[in-house]
Amino acid sequence: MTDVVRTGFRPSRIAIYGVLLLACLVYLIPLIIMLITSFKTPMDIRTGNLLALPTDWTVMGWTKAWSTACTGVQCEGVKGYFWNSFKMTVPAVLISTLLGAFNGYVLSKWKFKGSDLMFGMLLFGCFVPFQVVLLPMAATLGKLGLANTTTGLVLVHVIYGVAFTTLFFRNYYVAIPDALVKAARLDGAGFFTIFFRILLPLSTPIFMVSLIWQFTQIWNDFLFGVVFASGDSQPITVALNNLVNTSTGVKEYNVDMAAAMIAALPTLVVYIVAGKYFIRGLTAGSVKG
Amino acid sequence: MAQLELRDIRKTYAGALDETLKGINIDIASGEFLTLVGPSGCGKSTLMNSIAGLETITGGSIVVDGKDISGMEPKDRDIAMVFQSYALYPTMSVRENIAFGLKIRGMPKEEIRQEVERVADLLQISALLNKKPSLLSGGQQQRVAMGRALARRPKIYLFDEPLSNLDAKLRVEMRTEIKKLHQRLKTTIVYVTHDQIEAMTLADRIAVLKDGELQQLGTPKEVYDTPENLFVAGFMGSPSMSFIDVDVERTETGLSVSVEGSDGRTLTLPVPDYLENWAGKRVILGIRPEHVSQPDEQKRDNPMVTEGRFTVEVTEPTGPDVLAVIRLNDTDVQCRLDAEHPVEWGEEAELMFDMRKVVFFDPESEKRIRP
Repeated sequence: MTDVVRTGFRPSRIAIYGVLLLACLVYLIPLIIMLITSFKTPMDIRTGNLLALPTDWTVMGWTKAWSTACTGVQCEGVKGYFWNSFKMTVPAVLISTLLGAFNGYVLSKWKFKGSDLMFGMLLFGCFVPFQVVLLPMAATLGKLGLANTTTGLVLVHVIYGVAFTTLFFRNYYVAIPDALVKAARLDGAGFFTIFFRILLPLSTPIFMVSLIWQFTQIWNDFLFGVVFASGDSQPITVALNNLVNTSTGVKEYNVDMAAAMIAALPTLVVYIVAGKYFIRGLTAGSVKG
Repeated sequence: MAQLELRDIRKTYAGALDETLKGINIDIASGEFLTLVGPSGCGKSTLMNSIAGLETITGGSIVVDGKDISGMEPKDRDIAMVFQSYALYPTMSVRENIAFGLKIRGMPKEEIRQEVERVADLLQISALLNKKPSLLSGGQQQRVAMGRALARRPKIYLFDEPLSNLDAKLRVEMRTEIKKLHQRLKTTIVYVTHDQIEAMTLADRIAVLKDGELQQLGTPKEVYDTPENLFVAGFMGSPSMSFIDVDVERTETGLSVSVEGSDGRTLTLPVPDYLENWAGKRVILGIRPEHVSQPDEQKRDNPMVTEGRFTVEVTEPTGPDVLAVIRLNDTDVQCRLDAEHPVEWGEEAELMFDMRKVVFFDPESEKRIRP
């Protein structure tokens, strides 16, 4: 026991913590700079040190980024696009997660001829780069009359996301004993009853994984947003790009940083709220009967 | 309670070359307790899943009370099953687990409540009704799993190795419980196990399966005393029957075989007259440990009992008796000896061979030679 206590004071310990602290700092510096810059005045930014705290704390950058900054021709801030992103992300995340859960259920518990092949092909979908589907997807959305709409964007993200969510749920459900499904069948439960009453209630951890993954992917997506949406339906990632690239007058770094922070906040919040399930879900091996 | 007939059940899995079930015929009387026993991979679980409707059969028919149910969905068959892993719904309380099937079948709430309580009383799990399965011990989970099956009052109960996840002591306790339950409820039960002791103790009749074929169907006593073939003889009984290659000889006193011990001494053993046709030929002698014991005065006068001295190679005390191994005709033979008169390994012991209940097999067909 005394040995363990004494190790706390060894120089090697101090070195380890020192290195860890340094690593933390390296990772935190961009965030710190973004945060402090967003609270500075333009004057402060131009004259002061990048790492120095603001001399005058101000939320001017944040309010401007939210409601009056110019994103291209319009000067209404990012708030409209922020809600656009929500309108796109929330349904896309929920639909793709539910579809994934359902696919996973079928592919693990109701195997049919060729179901493994189908799963393999779905997996393939995880490796298809965004760029590859741009043109065919544009044509499809055009034919469906969904070009440049939020609905169209939701559809794109659902299609793209289903490969991942199916993979998550299928692998999670494979670890759930088949006997559970058999028992429910003998109890008289049908296909949907088993899904909704037996499997879905067991799915919280993997649901959270899928939720975080999909939310981060869809919220942060720029390419689909810039290609398949225009004007009023653009998501915040596109608006952020427009805001930063709008070159009239002096570059307002505080506004840029505030806008970037606004764009990043929702994913951060999701991670903080559901994060503990993320690791648990990823490592969940089996369900104890 | 119902009568169950399995008629020429065949099953070939998609893509498999061999049949998993090769035409199984079993009639199970109403209220009968039948155990299906066999080594892993013999098809017993497949047969059970087929009865339940969880797997489709490729041939034959399953008939309950005269009605062919082979094509029916599991839920329409009125069969309940207890699984090896219990398969309790983890997110539901014990009460909800038991009530699930009743709820789905649309039973009124009040009746469900009564039924759950009846079953809980029967299995002594009333105190656990509001707990989640994960908080229960293995034995308690086992009871809940049985409760779930009992609640629906189905025609037939299927037990799929229900005790194999329990520790040894609990397994014996639950075995007795299941037997008591069956004696009280008089339900038709098909019970799958790979444990031949479970099969012997529980069953009215035992069906021994191997490689998808029924080897023997009979009462525990029939299967134990008159096994149809070498496989059944070796599978049932613990420690298992020893098999010795012997030549049937004709002497003045009748038919006999001789065995040679590890020290070269030979002993002539009397064999029954029905081996008349085998005189001069080689047969396999099947002898159970209890047929070789220490000399017993009361048996000595019987013409089918002989004594000889053999060197004990290994001893295994079990408590009530000592299992000793001797070598006869270069084969290990287990003997069950009295624990009160211990023998040490390496010592010579005077052993009595009771040939009245030994069995003989045809070395070609491996079938038992019938009297």
